[in-house]
Amino acid sequence: MNGVPELLILRLLQQEEMYGYEIVQAIRSRTAAVIAVGEGVVYPVLHGLERDGALESRRKTVNRRSRIYYSVTPVGSHRLADLSEVWTNLAAAIQHILTGGRHGEAIP
Amino acid sequence: MAKPFHELRERLLRAGIAPRHVGRYLSELADHWADLRAEEERAGRSRADAEAAALLRLGGVDDLAKAMIEQRQFQSWCIRAPWAIFGLAPIFVLAGSYFVALLILWSGWKIFLPGADTPFGTRVHGIANFYFGVGRLIYYGAPILIGWGIGIIAARQRLKAVWPTVGLVLIAWIGGTAQVHASRTAVPGGFGHISMGFAHGASMPGVFDGLSHALVILSLTVLPYLIWRLQKAHSLSA
Repeated sequence: MNGVPELLILRLLQQEEMYGYEIVQAIRSRTAAVIAVGEGVVYPVLHGLERDGALESRRKTVNRRSRIYYSVTPVGSHRLADLSEVWTNLAAAIQHILTGGRHGEAIP
Repeated sequence: MAKPFHELRERLLRAGIAPRHVGRYLSELADHWADLRAEEERAGRSRADAEAAALLRLGGVDDLAKAMIEQRQFQSWCIRAPWAIFGLAPIFVLAGSYFVALLILWSGWKIFLPGADTPFGTRVHGIANFYFGVGRLIYYGAPILIGWGIGIIAARQRLKAVWPTVGLVLIAWIGGTAQVHASRTAVPGGFGHISMGFAHGASMPGVFDGLSHALVILSLTVLPYLIWRLQKAHSLSA
C-alpha cells in the first residue's frame, strides 16, 4: 500500500481543494470503504506532500470555523501522473496474473 | 487544544518532531475530531459516546505518532544538528550582539566624548548616558537572553540536558571572559580603536572577576531551565 495514500489524495485534490476531514470522507465514499485507515494519519501525508511542493495550503473560514484547505500544485500534478502510471501498470500486471496469464505472455 | 492529544504532543516532541509541526498536526487533528464528533452526534450518539467514537475513528496514539515520526523531514534541527543549535548559533548571536554593543560604544565615544582618550570612566549625562546605557544593556544582557533562549528551545523540544548545558556553559564562559579595550593612541590620527578579548586576567583578581561573572551568567540562565526540568519531573511522577 506504499504510495496509495499519496495517489488518492493527489487525485482527489486535483478535482477540488479540500480540508482533511473532507479528504478522508471522500476516500471512504469513493472506495466504498475498502480503503480505511485511522483518519488522523492523513495529516502527516498531507504535510509531507506540502513540504515536497506537491500541495499548497491556505486557511479559510467556513461556517465560522477556520480550516486548512489543500490543493495540488504543478509539481503535484506531475507526481500524480507518475504515480498513476506506476499503479496502472502494477494493477494490470497483478490482474494479468490473477486471470491466468502465462509466463512470457505480454501484458496488454 | 483538546486534552486527548496531550500524550501525542509529548510523544512527538520527545521523538524530535519540531514544535511547529507538532502544533499544526494537533490543531488539524482537533478540528478533525470536532467534525467526527459532530457527525457521530448527528447519528444519534450522546456527547460522551460521540467523543469516544470520534477518537477511535481518528486513530490510536501509537498510529498517529508513528505516522508523523516516520516523516523524517519534520524532525527539529535541535535533533538533526544539536551542535549547531546549541554550539554555533549562540556564539554567532552573541558575536552579533557584542558587535552592536561595541558599535554603540565607538559611535558614542565619537559623538559625545570626542576629546576623551577612552570612553570608559568619564561621567556622561542625558542622552549620552542613555546611549551608552543601551550599549551596556546589550553587552551585559546578551549572554543572559541567549541563555534563556537556549532554555526555551530545550524546554519546547523536551530535550535531554546534555546539549543545552553545553550551550549554557559556553555562553557563560564567553560572557565571563569577554573584555573590551579602547584607546585613541593605538591608531594613527586619533581615530579611536576598540578591541575585544576573551581571556581570564593574568592576576588572581582578574581570574576571580571573570569566573564570578561567568558563574552569575550561568546561574541566571540555568535557573529557569532547572526549574522547568524539576517541574516536568514532578508532573511526570505525580
